[in-house]
Amino acid sequence: MANKEVEKILPLVQKPGRYIGGELNSVIKDKSKVNLRYAFCFPDSYEIGMSHLGMKILYSIANDHDDIWCERVFAPWHDMEAEMRKHNIPLYGLESGDPIKDFDLIGFTLMYELSFSNVLNMLDLAGLPVKAADRHSLTPIVVGGGPCVCNPEPMAEFFDVFSLGEGEEMYEPFFELLKECKKNKSTKEEFLRRVAKLDGFYVPSLYDVEYNDDKTIKAVVPKDGAPQKVTKQVVSDFDKVKYPEKFVVPYIDVVHDRVVHEILRGCIRGCRFCQAGFIYRPIREKSPDTINDQCRGLCDVTGYDEISLSSLSTSDYTKLEPLLDKLLSWTIPEKINIALPSLRVDNFSDELMEKLNKVRRSGLTFAPEAGTQRLRDAINKNVTEDEVLRTSRKAFEGGWTAVKLYFMLGLPTETFDDVAGIADLAQKVVDEFYKNPNKPKGKGVQVSISVASFVPKPFTPFQWEPQDTREMLLEKQAHLLSCVKTRKVNVSYHKVDISFLEGVFARGDRKLSKVILYAWEHGCKFDGWDDSFKFDVWMEAFEKCGIDPLFYTSRKREFEEILPWDHLDYGIRKEFLINENKKAHESVTTPHCRIKCAGCGANKINGGKCDAMRKNMV
Amino acid sequence: MRCVRIWFEKKGDVRYISHLDLMRTMTRAIRRSKIPLWYTEGFNPHPYMTFVLPLSLGMESENDAMDIRVEGEITNREVKSALSGVMPDGITVTCVTEPRLDPKFISFASFDIAFYTAESAEQIEERIETMLSGKELIVQKLGKKGHKKVYKDIDLLPHVKSYEIKEKNGVPVLSLVLPAGSTTNINPSLLADEIIKEKNEDDYYIIKRKQLFDKDMKAFE
Repeated sequence: MANKEVEKILPLVQKPGRYIGGELNSVIKDKSKVNLRYAFCFPDSYEIGMSHLGMKILYSIANDHDDIWCERVFAPWHDMEAEMRKHNIPLYGLESGDPIKDFDLIGFTLMYELSFSNVLNMLDLAGLPVKAADRHSLTPIVVGGGPCVCNPEPMAEFFDVFSLGEGEEMYEPFFELLKECKKNKSTKEEFLRRVAKLDGFYVPSLYDVEYNDDKTIKAVVPKDGAPQKVTKQVVSDFDKVKYPEKFVVPYIDVVHDRVVHEILRGCIRGCRFCQAGFIYRPIREKSPDTINDQCRGLCDVTGYDEISLSSLSTSDYTKLEPLLDKLLSWTIPEKINIALPSLRVDNFSDELMEKLNKVRRSGLTFAPEAGTQRLRDAINKNVTEDEVLRTSRKAFEGGWTAVKLYFMLGLPTETFDDVAGIADLAQKVVDEFYKNPNKPKGKGVQVSISVASFVPKPFTPFQWEPQDTREMLLEKQAHLLSCVKTRKVNVSYHKVDISFLEGVFARGDRKLSKVILYAWEHGCKFDGWDDSFKFDVWMEAFEKCGIDPLFYTSRKREFEEILPWDHLDYGIRKEFLINENKKAHESVTTPHCRIKCAGCGANKINGGKCDAMRKNMV
Repeated sequence: MRCVRIWFEKKGDVRYISHLDLMRTMTRAIRRSKIPLWYTEGFNPHPYMTFVLPLSLGMESENDAMDIRVEGEITNREVKSALSGVMPDGITVTCVTEPRLDPKFISFASFDIAFYTAESAEQIEERIETMLSGKELIVQKLGKKGHKKVYKDIDLLPHVKSYEIKEKNGVPVLSLVLPAGSTTNINPSLLADEIIKEKNEDDYYIIKRKQLFDKDMKAFE
């Protein structure tokens, strides 16, 4: 709800629909009747944030409490920020229009490293000091969650608490404690000491970090009774876990504007570069009936005409075909399209394709990730060239004329031959199209290859690996372009500067807080957006703070080194990661979790349970 | 299959919803209402929906209308009651009718412009008098020349036929009729901007489109 002050500036900005709230199914409460006001902040634009499933889930769980009002907050775009600062309008919650500095709890979801500067900017725009140590009162407490929290150290100075793991399970004890402390007028210090004792909550100010002369970490020492290790919390019964009955339906066009259902959490594949594949373990599936009922309810209350079945690898869902049969029985008459965003080339069947074709045809995207079999084995992407070609052939026979392939550059052990292999593979996919006797007349084929730069991430077997320098990546990009001989293959790639910065923060330590502060003070924000990214300012920030970014990216770490995230436990055993790392250098694959349990250890955070091992799921 | 005209109001914050966004919003509302929509029979079936005269971003409207096509035996009254429960805040369905006039016959629209400035109704009236008593009133309008966006000079004077200023709830409101539709369309913000030009930057106005008319100033229905 836009207040009078905001109303004045809305005609001056682009896409004012981002800033008004009031969307269908947004939650409005009587503020005199709630005990806890919670600002759920997404440190990027409305269009990105409103596409985020986690926010939809946590917004609905928090608002299920009668005495808690959770509101949404996004980073205002540059033009809106300028008007807000000019008119002294502090950052406000979209539901009430009230300033969030008066709220009790401010939660940020940290989805990617390049949104860090936006967190500082939003705190400042709210009228709050950006450093946790400068915020003295109990409220608002600033909490961080999301995947980047598996190594939150670069952001340690700005947050009071980090929540490790799946919010569905963690809200209840946290809300209770905060309400109690608010009622008893406890100090912030007391609250922090107590929250540190709750499972999964990491209070960075209660840990002292000591360094060796070579700048690596000597020890991380907890104080005031904080635990030695903080363990990620997971949802144990994924089938029964609360899923929103309503989605807020945006007025303006957002990136993913549709019903989303998470059918599977965790991933059985164990691709060695993939952080999500490890930190969301153990594997848990939802039953087809639950998914079907929830999707139907959501379509009814939103009016959406598309459902996306989301997970890290949707075709690994064991009951995909029965699920699709259930869904299609009502989605076809209601003209609702079903999208399966994460399919694998090795189990894409004719039946599946036929079912997908029922309502509307969307694009087909596959991710071979590397150009040669040797490298695919090294990264444990258990996909063969034959499988890629067979799937492409099926797709072309099914009438598709465009295929998108995802690859990475800069993977450990990669050579120029591997880079050339990407172009070869794309060419072979083009050839498959022309081998098809029934190819549509007058239509060419378009193979788009999208090449990301590999960034080593914590809790993966590659967490010790050096990242390719910007120069090496540019050279590899140029080599790839020189190997592509046809206009039927179109190549797009990521900016290496952005990947470089992402790499610094992904495996960074607390010393980087001052770099982030400096960069933000000198105008860095929306770093994930090419137009807003100021690489020179970031480089200046490193220099002024006396920090060598290459220490974090280009250095090969020893297995014995204490890593900045070693006091955080995501269930994955370090020995398992070391073993996987060694196998990578020998190009030896590890079979996926349903063939044979690799003993990653993630089941221990779920009481020993993992759906990949449950007989009835196979 | 038959065509129905849905009359609605768009008020408050939803005025910041653009025409395209409104189409999406309405499509979803109609899907939620479970009205039996007619879908096009092409490769990508979609419902038929057309707005009689798109509204600029930032404007409120009364007596706005869109046409949709429905299937089967559903009465106008049933369409209205199905839609009433599913509209987002700020959009109200007022009436459902048979379309009587083709939207291409729309020639004029009436507007209310509420000024939130320090000036009284008299002061604004005086300002308008002066503006309109000249030989011409040239303003710049953003137009297109090929793909390029260019400013064009247009004279508002011949287009402002009649106007009236009244104070409503302490706010000066200018009511006027301007050409609207597919041949000549004058956006009232061109005049409103001219009126609050040189004012302090906290000043703003809210435009409401009240009614559409044909060339004989007969209400569009």
